[in-house]
Amino acid sequence: MTKTLLACLLAACAATASAAEAPAMVQHDHGAMMHSPSRSWTQLPLLKSRMKGQDMASRSIIMQPQNIAADAVEAWSNDLEDANGHRQLPMEMGGAPLDKPATGGFQMLTAREVQGDGVRIASTVHYFGERGGKNPTAMFDQVKHELEIIPQPYPREHSRYRANEDWQFAVRFKGQPLAGQQVVLETSNGSRAEFLTDALGVVKVKVPNDFKAEAAQRENHGMRRGADFVLAVSHAEGGLQYLTAFNSGYGEDAYANRSLAMGMGFMLVGMLGAAPLLRNRKTAARKEESANA
Amino acid sequence: MLKSIFPTLARLRFTVQILMLFVTVYGGALLGSYTVDRISKALPSLACAYDKVTGDHCVLISVQHQLHHRIGEALSKAGDVALNVFLPTMITVGVFFMFFFFLNKAFCGWICPLGTVQELIYKIGRRLGRPLQRFTKAGVGKVRPVKWFMLLLLVLGLPTLAGMGTVANELGDPFCQVCPSRIATTLLTADTEQLAVRTGTNINFFLGALGNALFGFIIIAALAVRQPFCRICPLLSWNALFQKLSPMRLVKKEAHEKCEKCGVCEKACPMDIHEIGTAFGSKAFHEDCTLCGRCAEYCPDDDVIQLKFFVFKLFGSSRDYYKARVKFESPEGQPKKRVIPILSKPAENKG
Repeated sequence: MTKTLLACLLAACAATASAAEAPAMVQHDHGAMMHSPSRSWTQLPLLKSRMKGQDMASRSIIMQPQNIAADAVEAWSNDLEDANGHRQLPMEMGGAPLDKPATGGFQMLTAREVQGDGVRIASTVHYFGERGGKNPTAMFDQVKHELEIIPQPYPREHSRYRANEDWQFAVRFKGQPLAGQQVVLETSNGSRAEFLTDALGVVKVKVPNDFKAEAAQRENHGMRRGADFVLAVSHAEGGLQYLTAFNSGYGEDAYANRSLAMGMGFMLVGMLGAAPLLRNRKTAARKEESANA
Repeated sequence: MLKSIFPTLARLRFTVQILMLFVTVYGGALLGSYTVDRISKALPSLACAYDKVTGDHCVLISVQHQLHHRIGEALSKAGDVALNVFLPTMITVGVFFMFFFFLNKAFCGWICPLGTVQELIYKIGRRLGRPLQRFTKAGVGKVRPVKWFMLLLLVLGLPTLAGMGTVANELGDPFCQVCPSRIATTLLTADTEQLAVRTGTNINFFLGALGNALFGFIIIAALAVRQPFCRICPLLSWNALFQKLSPMRLVKKEAHEKCEKCGVCEKACPMDIHEIGTAFGSKAFHEDCTLCGRCAEYCPDDDVIQLKFFVFKLFGSSRDYYKARVKFESPEGQPKKRVIPILSKPAENKG
């Protein structure tokens, strides 16, 4: 029995391999899939991550501040008790290397620039693609800078922000919520919007559906091509002008490259296939008798 | 007191099923939105990771993911098969077994949300007077290998080959793409995203179409067939690999010669395990058994069929229990109360 099954498996695999589309890359480049090409689409401070290496074992992350002059990048881990719970990543040629700590999971990264009476902060979140040991809520709750935009919550593991979805962010100053604060959204696709925080300092942001129809939609490993957005807020206090920004990538609408109509159609085909099972044999027999009579 | 709240094993099991349906489908709303908040991430039941508010997800998605991204990729290098490649898989299997050790196949019969949905649909089918379609011994024999084929090909084989680059990357989680639980549990959260078929590539479209058609088939078939998907579920075969290692089990004592002629336990079994009527001892605990306990409920002899944990009897068949049980429901699950007359003809007046 076991040998028969193994033989069937090998045959099926061989048939599938030969019938399959052109084999995908053994090592697919997540970096290219997750992020749009770098371009100066905003003047707001950004903190971008670039992946180097083509497989999980050799992959390294480089954090690149853009529109901000930072000496270092700070990293907070989803496990604040860990030795790497909070660390300074020195800037090198091309950016600040971020190595994956043992806890994996989420990392919050910030870059800070102080010039005169202005303080600029760029922040982002990086997910290492492995299950982290802990929920990142404590990492987000940790006060890192005076003015902050904190995702509440961040998209869960193996998910991302997507067009047409509503996401909440908290704006706080020195750990306290900032109510009635204007928050600006800009995207690399050219959209711009403004929001106001509510009494609890929370703003609900609808990610715009601003992807233009493209001739070639590349879908690889369930990930679609994406764009970048940045949320920014400014606040003046104590003679200092603070500007903080949170940037991340986002993807197309959940139903892009999906068809609900086709899905329901195939479901109905399946339902019709099972319909004969519901037929009462006695009713069928009686009908046959009356037809013959 | 427990007996007054749960007078029958079936009532207890139904209560557990409904509670676990809420935990597996909606539990994330309480536990947290992140995957790290999930209870085990290696549940021996078809709780779906695509459900954005799930309380836990099944072991099969973790296995496929690791075969695709770790083991498969490492095998393609033919040398870098280090401990850190297999360690995540070992952890997944270890966590799975920590849960499985205590409940064994009861994860199928008591916890699985898709199993619960199929049973609820079957109950509706009974009320609507739909016929019961049973598998003959020959029919069951033809269906049983399918679950092993699903496990070997969709859960183990294709993800490994995708990681090695031998087949397309879209075949990294093929079972998830055809699993009816993905659509069923997400629809229960009013999320239609998984019902929408992917149109990006031919492979995704094919798998999605197959999955949707299978889902449609299952939810209608469940009106007349007991547990239609469970019979071909790869998690049933995965769990069967480990069922001898758990102290939770079904045991049938060798009673008397009338046992083989009785056959009520066979009628009660929702998986059409005909061996329950003829086998004894540990052989009665078949690979298809989901430990639902119906055979023990409907056995008319005392303690012939038992659910045991180590040496402790959790539930044993009883003549008195059988007499009380059949007053309300037949072994096949047909309620003794009137069915809804809409879809069934009223009985003819005679005499």
